[in-house]
Amino acid sequence: MSARRIVLTSGKGGVGKTTTTANLGAALAKSGKRVVLVDADIGLRNLDLVLGVEKRIVFDLVEVVEGRCQLRQALIKDKRLENLSILPAAQTRDKTAISELQMAEVVEQLGALCDYVLIDCPAGIEHGFRNAIAGAGEAIVVTTPEVSAIRDADRVIGKLHERGLPVRLIINRIRPEMVRSGDMLGVDDVTEILAAELLGIVPDDEEVIDTTNKGEPIALVAESRLAAIYAKIARRLEGELVPFTALNAPGFFERLFRKAG
Amino acid sequence: MSSVRGRGRNLEIAVDRALGAAAEELRVQFAGRPDFYRGSRAVANLGLLEPPALELAAFRDALAEFGIVLDGVCGGESVAQIAAEVDLAYLGLAQVAEVAALPRKRQQREVRLSDEARSLVADFAGARADMVRRREVGPAGAATVVAAAGVAIPLQPRPVPAGVATLYHRGTLRGGQALHNLGNLVVVGDVNPGAELVASGDIVVFGALRGVAHAGAQGDRSARVIALELAPTQLRIATVIATSGADRTKRGPEHASIVDDRIVVVPFAEAELKRESHA
Amino acid sequence: MINQVIQDEVPGAGDVPRVRGRAIVVTSGKGGVGKTTTTANIGTALAALGASVVLVDADVGLRNLDIVLGLEARVRHHVLDVLEGIATLDDALVTDKRVPKLRLLAAAQTREKDDVDTAAFRDLIGTLRDRFDYVLIDCPAGIEKGFVNAIAGADEAIVVCTPEVAAVRDADRVVGLLGDDRKVELIVNRLRPALVRKGKMLSVDDVNDILHLPLLGVIAEAPDVIISTNRGQPVALDPASEVGESYRAIARRITGQDTGAPEIPREKTLFGKLFGGRS
Repeated sequence: MSARRIVLTSGKGGVGKTTTTANLGAALAKSGKRVVLVDADIGLRNLDLVLGVEKRIVFDLVEVVEGRCQLRQALIKDKRLENLSILPAAQTRDKTAISELQMAEVVEQLGALCDYVLIDCPAGIEHGFRNAIAGAGEAIVVTTPEVSAIRDADRVIGKLHERGLPVRLIINRIRPEMVRSGDMLGVDDVTEILAAELLGIVPDDEEVIDTTNKGEPIALVAESRLAAIYAKIARRLEGELVPFTALNAPGFFERLFRKAG
Repeated sequence: MSSVRGRGRNLEIAVDRALGAAAEELRVQFAGRPDFYRGSRAVANLGLLEPPALELAAFRDALAEFGIVLDGVCGGESVAQIAAEVDLAYLGLAQVAEVAALPRKRQQREVRLSDEARSLVADFAGARADMVRRREVGPAGAATVVAAAGVAIPLQPRPVPAGVATLYHRGTLRGGQALHNLGNLVVVGDVNPGAELVASGDIVVFGALRGVAHAGAQGDRSARVIALELAPTQLRIATVIATSGADRTKRGPEHASIVDDRIVVVPFAEAELKRESHA
Repeated sequence: MINQVIQDEVPGAGDVPRVRGRAIVVTSGKGGVGKTTTTANIGTALAALGASVVLVDADVGLRNLDIVLGLEARVRHHVLDVLEGIATLDDALVTDKRVPKLRLLAAAQTREKDDVDTAAFRDLIGTLRDRFDYVLIDCPAGIEKGFVNAIAGADEAIVVCTPEVAAVRDADRVVGLLGDDRKVELIVNRLRPALVRKGKMLSVDDVNDILHLPLLGVIAEAPDVIISTNRGQPVALDPASEVGESYRAIARRITGQDTGAPEIPREKTLFGKLFGGRS
């Protein structure tokens, strides 16, 4: 039974694709799924940093494609979660090092080894983006509630639909107080503009920067609010109907969801 | 040159160089007639070699590619423990007997490695012998510098009558850049995280080494890595891999080399700098 | 709300032969660190000082410079139209009523970065340098063709980096690709002095310990930046904004009016938070 192959993309850089890939992967692995994370950002790799495995890289995606090592040799097992592995990108190469077909083949091989392949897509919509979506069967678009991010997400969703990929949305780094003051778009606004199914809402949290610097995904910090949220996203991904968390006082909850439910 | 001799229905393989290189040699030898020895049992005579267990396992796997089953090894006393670790019979010094009749000795290996080091060793199982092989036939036979837009510019290999060429680079190496050399490497400047140095000889960084450095990349275990500030993401000498811990205190110039199968780092003032010849 | 109109200054235009304008690319490697916001604000601040400025959005297909400036409704033609001869440069240049010496050359939204010919783009930048004192190029994230196009024609670069490990790695890669022939300077963006003090964020020194670049400016994290971006009102136009002041100081350093070292924002005391400017 082959794995679900999901690309996480955004268009705009810096909205949290890599952080989301790492944390969603960790949450899925914690719930018992076998997960492989693939860093498709050749030349600007960061997924390894976010997971804290940068010192253990010996082989990478490009060397797998070029046949200089076997796939299993390049996979790095996470030390905290036995169901989680990562295939890092190369750093001393660039995105022309592999083709869409080669990427699709690697992802297919990985699909035989696990339940979920999550592909971390580079920013933009160039060659690297095309490679990243090549092996995927579904997409998650990550956006922040800012005008430029939404505009780029919209462009990307168009391209994903062109490829026939079903798209779901994660709204990242939302700040309830700014939504209230009208300085940030609310969830309803975003979903309406992008017309995509909502998978998750992740609030802004200054702890995330620190966890990224340390290589300890916040989904693994048991008491953290964000860990609970990523766990819920993982369940939703599995098909469970999980209500969205109220991020603040009831007044805020009402404002976020003008429609019922 | 390693030799393969038939003894009865079995083979004795006498090895006279590092196992990685020996395996490669044998591959070349067998390539002409890959099935000739299929189904044979073999014993390897390691002479004075004391390879790490993983290298021995990799050697066994290499033989298995040609259908040769390695049952045991002979060599120095320390080889007994190593052989037991990888489930091979130890046959003493230069002794060959009916392999099928020999008991397999299991001995507890003394735990000398820290947990982190051991897990690193496990991580890289199988990869290390491959790494040496890759470097020997690798893409960059000549020195290369990665310049603008990630395009590698090969430098002309220097013709050197004897001894090894040393590549000198002045300037900081940025993430994504790489210097590979057949010979030694000297960098005056920092080597940032994401940058890569690979040399068949020694590596010297007159600056902060924060990227990945691989000295003795073709199997020379006597190679050194020396830096004003040794804080690499990963350090490799021949087939041994290590990483620096989380401790970020600055310690001044340091020298890394292989001692007893592990990479050992000492302050430069205490380094043993005698030049060794290598097999 | 800011409804200022900056007075147009034309000091002795036409009397002195024109010195060729400076072409500066604003880049980072990592996305989301504030390249576009920085380009818009530095450009606005330079124009407010009296220089003629054109901002070029090189992010074909994912343009955002027009939004940040609040000019998206005024864009009639874009870079590709000019390069393909469909429109003249004057057709495409958008004027900002609030800042008369500022022009915008927008990117195409429905095209791809591969559509842009690097040599043609370089020539266009050359043409713009003949007409304007400053040509600021907003570079897309990444190091692909979009990046290669954006840096063509610019002999100076500003690298924008946030105090996070991933951003520093990507910035380092970009600095390596920019090569040794360009003047490259650093802006550290979105600094949070309180988090630096608590050890939860890199300091400016930590960042430049890796990047080794002359520091052009340091900008603190502030909510008014997102607000201004959403509303299309660059903070550099707001006399009460501290971030705006940081950008204005950077502009003065670029023109050479200011030669002192950049100020590093300090943690706000409670007094400062209550009675200082809007942060």
